[in-house]
Amino acid sequence: MNVYLKNIFRFCILLMLQVIVLNKITLHWFTSPSGALFNPLIYPLFILLLPFETPVWVLLILGFLMGLAVDSFMNTAGMHAAALILLAYLRTNVLNALLPRNPTEYVNMEPSVKNMGWSPFLVFCGFLLLLHHIVFFSLESWGFNSIGALMLKIATSFITSMVFILIYVLLFTRQHVAKSH
Amino acid sequence: MRNFILIIRRFFNLILFALLEIVSIVLIARSRTIQGDDIISSSNAVAGIVYKKKTDLFYYMNLGSMNDSLLSENMRLRKIVDALHSVDTLKDFTVQRALPTKDTSVHVVQYASYVYRTARVIDNQVDNVNNYITINRGLKDGIAKGMSVISGNGLVGRVEYVSQHFASVLSILNTNKYQVSARLKDGTFKSTNWDNERPDVLVMKEMPAEAKVKKGDSVFTTSYGNTFPPDVLIGTVTSVEINKKSGRQQIMLKPATNFRNLQYVYVLDNQMEVERKQLTEPSNKKP
Repeated sequence: MNVYLKNIFRFCILLMLQVIVLNKITLHWFTSPSGALFNPLIYPLFILLLPFETPVWVLLILGFLMGLAVDSFMNTAGMHAAALILLAYLRTNVLNALLPRNPTEYVNMEPSVKNMGWSPFLVFCGFLLLLHHIVFFSLESWGFNSIGALMLKIATSFITSMVFILIYVLLFTRQHVAKSH
Repeated sequence: MRNFILIIRRFFNLILFALLEIVSIVLIARSRTIQGDDIISSSNAVAGIVYKKKTDLFYYMNLGSMNDSLLSENMRLRKIVDALHSVDTLKDFTVQRALPTKDTSVHVVQYASYVYRTARVIDNQVDNVNNYITINRGLKDGIAKGMSVISGNGLVGRVEYVSQHFASVLSILNTNKYQVSARLKDGTFKSTNWDNERPDVLVMKEMPAEAKVKKGDSVFTTSYGNTFPPDVLIGTVTSVEINKKSGRQQIMLKPATNFRNLQYVYVLDNQMEVERKQLTEPSNKKP
């Protein structure tokens, strides 16, 4: 599939998944009544899975668009956008640190378990996603008054988001392998 | 000039990053003021349409439970109608609700008259710092900013933003946007807040020690503050903690409305609000 078409398609899929399905999942972690509430966030995956050689300014603009789209559905003004822009800005640096060669040398490839291997891919996703969650939830609580609750919220949603991202990635790489055979 | 362009080219990514961050921070800052949210809020057209399609789908799946809540609501209304029929206004000195009456021999004090408008909830949040509920009624149906919203069970919130066909309601699960004046069984009143963590807990802080309260008591709104109609159920007391140092009590409430599955709400239009505001505003303006 054409790389542009594929990413536009992925943009829509991830946005709809986030807005219609995942925003309805408000679970208690450690089910005691004082447990923090959280939403898994899967939409940063759109930026994470863009091709290796995407220039930073394109990442930034796409991140801003994706963030604004999520914001307009969730009544959060610019919070998702602000967090996602930071993720987009740092993506190339993280890839530089993790890959043996310069990211621009990987032509027509995108970050995936197949292209990077399990542990680099998990570190790549996990680090950037954790950063995104820290920024987003700090912005959301607008201060560090209840830092314990904030940390718990970050940790719980980070873990569930990672689970959902892994599920998404596994589902879609399966399909790829099946297609190539 | 050439150097300037070179610097811009070299740090283009950083500049773009800073610019976009500033734009989003400005958006956040704007939304925290009173107006501002109209650009990005779920009452804007596209999001409203998508949410409407989504709820049209879920609407059919939830018909059963919706029916039950309507039935219980009808039952409650019938009870009130019966109670109003049997009120003897000559003996009963105070009248709680407005009674439109033609009979001039009975002296009825009409101090508020409410128009109830039903609305369907098409989007509902419970886990944010400020939780908004989107309803499928807007300016065209007579909804205006500041109207109070109740459900069949109790208080829900206040209309915050309105578009032509949709409106956003800021529920009582909010942080420092507005407070609800609440009345205990013995008449003590105090504002109640949300504890900002769970959608099942409201807090009344700093209650004086002499206020008599016990677990299971109902808490109602008062008409102070000119926001909500009086005597709407807010919730029931779940626990009372006493601060040993100051002797003051902290009361935890369970909201009467279940915010997790809200489906129908009533928007209340107080027809005497303008008159009341005109009376109270000059006194508010004085320093």
